[in-house]
Amino acid sequence: MSAEYWRSLGELEGSAESRAFREREFPEGASEPPDAVSRRTVLSLLGASVSMAGLACRRPEERIVPYVEAPEPIVPGVPRHYATTMPSGTSAYGLVVESHEGRPTKIEGNELHPASLGSSSARVQASVYDLYDPDRSQAVLKRGEPSTWADFVAAWKERAKAHAADAGEGLAVLSAPSSSPTLSRLKAAFQKSYPRARFVTRAAVSDARVLAGIARAAGRPLMPVYRLEKAKAILAIDADILHADPEMIRHTRGFAAGRRVQAPGDAMNRLWAVEALFSITGGNADHRLRLAARRIPAFVAALAAELRRRGLTLDAPAVPELPGVDAAWLRALADDLLAHRGASLVVAGPRQPEAVHAAVVVLNAALGNVGSTVDYREPVDALLPSPDAFADLVEALADGKVKTLVVLGGNPAYDAPADLEFAAAAAKAEELVHLGTHVDETGALASWHVPSAHFLEAWGDARASCGTLSVVQPLIMPLYGAKSAVEVLGLLASGEDKPGHELVQATWHPILGESGFETRWNRVLHDGVLPQSALPGARLELKPGTFAELAAAARSAAEASGDLELVFQACPKLEGGASANNAWLQELPDAITKVTWDNPLLVSPATAATLHLKDEDVVKLEVAGRALELPILRVPGIAEGSLVLSLGYGRKQAGRVGSGIGFDAFALRTTAGLDLATDVKLTPAGRSYPLAQTQEHGAMEGRSIIREATLDRYKQDPKFATDTTPLFSLWTEHEYKTRPQWGMVIDLNACTGCNACSVACQSENTVPVVGKDQVRRGREMSWLRIDRYFTGEPDAPGAAFQPVPCMHCENAPCEQVCPVAATVHDAEGLNAMVYNRCIGTRYCSNNCPYKVRRFNFFNYTKDTPRVLQLVNNPDVTVRARGVMEKCTFCVQRLSAAKIDARLSGRELRDGDAKTACQQACPAEAIRFGDLLDLESQVAKARSSDRTYALLAELNTRPRTTYQARLRNPHPSLARPPKTEVGTSGGAAAPPPAKDQSHG
Amino acid sequence: MAQIFPQSTNRLPLLVAVVALVLPAAAVGGVWYYFSPRFTDVGYQPVQPVPYSHKLHAGEMQIDCRYCHASVESSPIANVPPTQACMNCHLLVSRNVESLAPIRDSAKSGLPMRWVRVHKISEYAYFHHSAHVAAGVGCVSCHGHVEEMEVVRQVEPLSMSWCLDCHRNPEPHLRPPSEVTNMTWKPARDPEGRARQIGALRPVNPPIDCSGCHR
Repeated sequence: MSAEYWRSLGELEGSAESRAFREREFPEGASEPPDAVSRRTVLSLLGASVSMAGLACRRPEERIVPYVEAPEPIVPGVPRHYATTMPSGTSAYGLVVESHEGRPTKIEGNELHPASLGSSSARVQASVYDLYDPDRSQAVLKRGEPSTWADFVAAWKERAKAHAADAGEGLAVLSAPSSSPTLSRLKAAFQKSYPRARFVTRAAVSDARVLAGIARAAGRPLMPVYRLEKAKAILAIDADILHADPEMIRHTRGFAAGRRVQAPGDAMNRLWAVEALFSITGGNADHRLRLAARRIPAFVAALAAELRRRGLTLDAPAVPELPGVDAAWLRALADDLLAHRGASLVVAGPRQPEAVHAAVVVLNAALGNVGSTVDYREPVDALLPSPDAFADLVEALADGKVKTLVVLGGNPAYDAPADLEFAAAAAKAEELVHLGTHVDETGALASWHVPSAHFLEAWGDARASCGTLSVVQPLIMPLYGAKSAVEVLGLLASGEDKPGHELVQATWHPILGESGFETRWNRVLHDGVLPQSALPGARLELKPGTFAELAAAARSAAEASGDLELVFQACPKLEGGASANNAWLQELPDAITKVTWDNPLLVSPATAATLHLKDEDVVKLEVAGRALELPILRVPGIAEGSLVLSLGYGRKQAGRVGSGIGFDAFALRTTAGLDLATDVKLTPAGRSYPLAQTQEHGAMEGRSIIREATLDRYKQDPKFATDTTPLFSLWTEHEYKTRPQWGMVIDLNACTGCNACSVACQSENTVPVVGKDQVRRGREMSWLRIDRYFTGEPDAPGAAFQPVPCMHCENAPCEQVCPVAATVHDAEGLNAMVYNRCIGTRYCSNNCPYKVRRFNFFNYTKDTPRVLQLVNNPDVTVRARGVMEKCTFCVQRLSAAKIDARLSGRELRDGDAKTACQQACPAEAIRFGDLLDLESQVAKARSSDRTYALLAELNTRPRTTYQARLRNPHPSLARPPKTEVGTSGGAAAPPPAKDQSHG
Repeated sequence: MAQIFPQSTNRLPLLVAVVALVLPAAAVGGVWYYFSPRFTDVGYQPVQPVPYSHKLHAGEMQIDCRYCHASVESSPIANVPPTQACMNCHLLVSRNVESLAPIRDSAKSGLPMRWVRVHKISEYAYFHHSAHVAAGVGCVSCHGHVEEMEVVRQVEPLSMSWCLDCHRNPEPHLRPPSEVTNMTWKPARDPEGRARQIGALRPVNPPIDCSGCHR
């Protein structure tokens, strides 16, 4: 099969299973009942069954329960929106949260906040689920027995006396990284009260090495702030800046802004990626080089040498040619960086050693990028992670020097380096106080466990990556009397139990000034951000010798033994395991592998072939005497010899959803091989393990689905994506004349495939979670899937991403076959789904060429625990078993927008109605609105050169259309035309006969 | 030889034919009528925890609907009032009436009242009060003459066909928005008077597609 686009290796190789899969409408077993014990069953066991309402003679009696005293601002039935902040390590996202009668249901980005810019990410979208997680710890526990906060306070005061006597000698606090001014203030107060106590900050996965590298080059730790919107040439060195990076929202917005080509004359940035694993950033790169992670320092040295040869002032020594790196590639990269001095950007990922980060600072400075595309700022108010201090702390624990350990968030018993043996060391402390959302692995060891408040429940504050200040404003009283880190640290520091509100305000009094404090404080709460509080970039005084250290690092990495290396990546979905009990994120397909509910070991096809392994084969992975058995999955584009493993799975005490899901990579992770381990052994275990991938479900084969061209080709032929097939219909077509006529345009040139839209849709539309077993049977319910296609050569592929919601075809094939008119068109062009008419024949899904319809094979929502029902959108029907469902263009939002416009006596304006996916998209790739409003963004996008419809040759006349993707290869590396990636202009010739049978 | 079948048997085919026609017709008619909301729901008049009289409050005392159902102009739901709204008056009047004890208890204890819902639309249909009020649909059109009811009962079927009857031809049910809560307002009989009455209204464009109410 000579497809230029392929979705999986099976498809590329034309395997029998893959063919059989594509030829079935529903995957094998899709109609059979589930196994006795499935994930869905576990989910359904979560809750007590819903009590039947007493059946009256005519209908169940229903009660109306009004307020006793109505809170003044709340109008029942009208959602309110509050600004708040989601802290995330040393950064934070400004949010606007929708609240229904005091119940937060939906999270959006805050347009005023520099780190969210009105958009969000998959993790931000899913964070509201964590609030209602039924497995959250619900009481203060003393040695596992229920206790109260008051008891804890009393016990602490007792203990504090003893510690005060020796200035805190045996006292230690272990905190998570933060950028909170209040926590920073309280830390100082704590250290003043207990000068000899330890205060250690750590995270399982952090950018500690980035800061240490910058400190090497600049003399002190500074935090980098990248501005991709100003960059014309971007080099990502093992850095997933568009997905795994905490700043992915801002980065994606900037990256997409540099690629928003509206007319053939527009400029476009160029992204270069060098990496061992296959990341979203690599998939979106114009040029991607796969290189084992341990050889990347040598690559950076070679790049520096090349730049110096071209006249850039660097003290980089010459290096011999690097095997595996095309000299022409390196020359072109150097060319591009030099051609865009001051508008180029080099970023290295946190996995790389300090020497690489130091070199990157020097490179950015030499290229004139500091102050334009990158700023290095002082880490004000930041609690920065320190792996070394943590190792010292564990040693002190093991030696019995620490009597009281207070863990303020984080889960070291699960995610500390395995060689430190944290659990054994912590057992020697007399008292272990644990503040956590769950009684997790660390909570189980604790003598005191205090439930930790969700950010929607507690007061706090944070600085965004650029330093902008904002307040964490609670939207709901703590559900289980949970306490925040601010409150617990406040107690530790002063010995007094003060509410979080008071502690945070105490920090903000000096910031806002005493006069008019209340007014300004309310303004900050209202806007969700303190204007002009960003921190300026620091002046850099670089130290010499960076490249000598880099050369040494490159040499030592090259000497590492063995052909294999093990690369750890923090699962971007589960945040290194903290979100393991979040069913939305567990079921969200991985952006590249499309695996749900698991973390297989990812290897390149060639490496798998040399070991005679195929997908789902279980292997025994041994690293420095530690072993783990887990299945493999072949992913093209991974460097030869690199094994990629996600951290965050295999939790033992995550909760009913997350416990026992996947494989615990932390068991293999040691201080020496924190993110990269060499001396790895792989042996087949002789069995297989099933994985649930959504990859091939509903495959669309052999058609020009993603259209793509180089920027040069687009300049020559702006209409390269336009369909030329003549379309005619057998019957007179409906005319859509009334306003509005809804339509959507998705810009594939902006979309990075980050999954934010997918989770936003799930949150907005109450899309159920079905579990691994059901996903394996092709019963996932997601209304908006993201198709990932590999492009180009199998051994050096790129990736293309395509979000596929319902197309809302004007000639909808689903409507023509529904025997009960349960799916019909409305006057505004929506393909409406009427659940209460649907009898579940599934004919519509059979006839849908886009495979976007989802069927409720079981009553997935029936036994949802009561507390988890609170996350449901009250404006959307909860669907029952036997009903088909699909994307509605967020019809509830459209109705609300139309009614709001009418009530305020004006016409509907562009932007009044936003779909959930559109609002979440950090790349602003999704445009939605009235196609008849010629000034609307969607109408303009739809009339652009690059617009095409999916499978237009079927004359379905979709309302959702796409804008073709553009690549911007370097002129000296542009491939000869015959292998150019992309379609050959216009609709492809009618596909072979077997394809037509699908239509 | 005596006849085997008595003479009355001659009428049997007729009887069978009649029964065969009447029974199904009766069954269809019975389901048609007795299973429809017009029969099952109209007249529903549950006993409330407090015998609140709309006849007294809205009828005789002429309290505007919106005093209690305050969100009807701004929200999809016309709320049932908080206990506090009752106590605004009943702190001063009828302070010791036996039947008001639940209200006083609620105000004292902070536990909400639990009224019985009378008007209920299926959960898969989304009705928007303020949109209808803004369009000029009077309270009386759907809720009947509440101001004459000692105990509120449902007077309209609130079925889909009943909704659609109005959505397809809304004009006869429209009135100036200022008269929405006026229970005694009558449309003018003559076309000119009628035109004057509703002339100020913007054209309403009620949806008749499924997506108008179902989502």
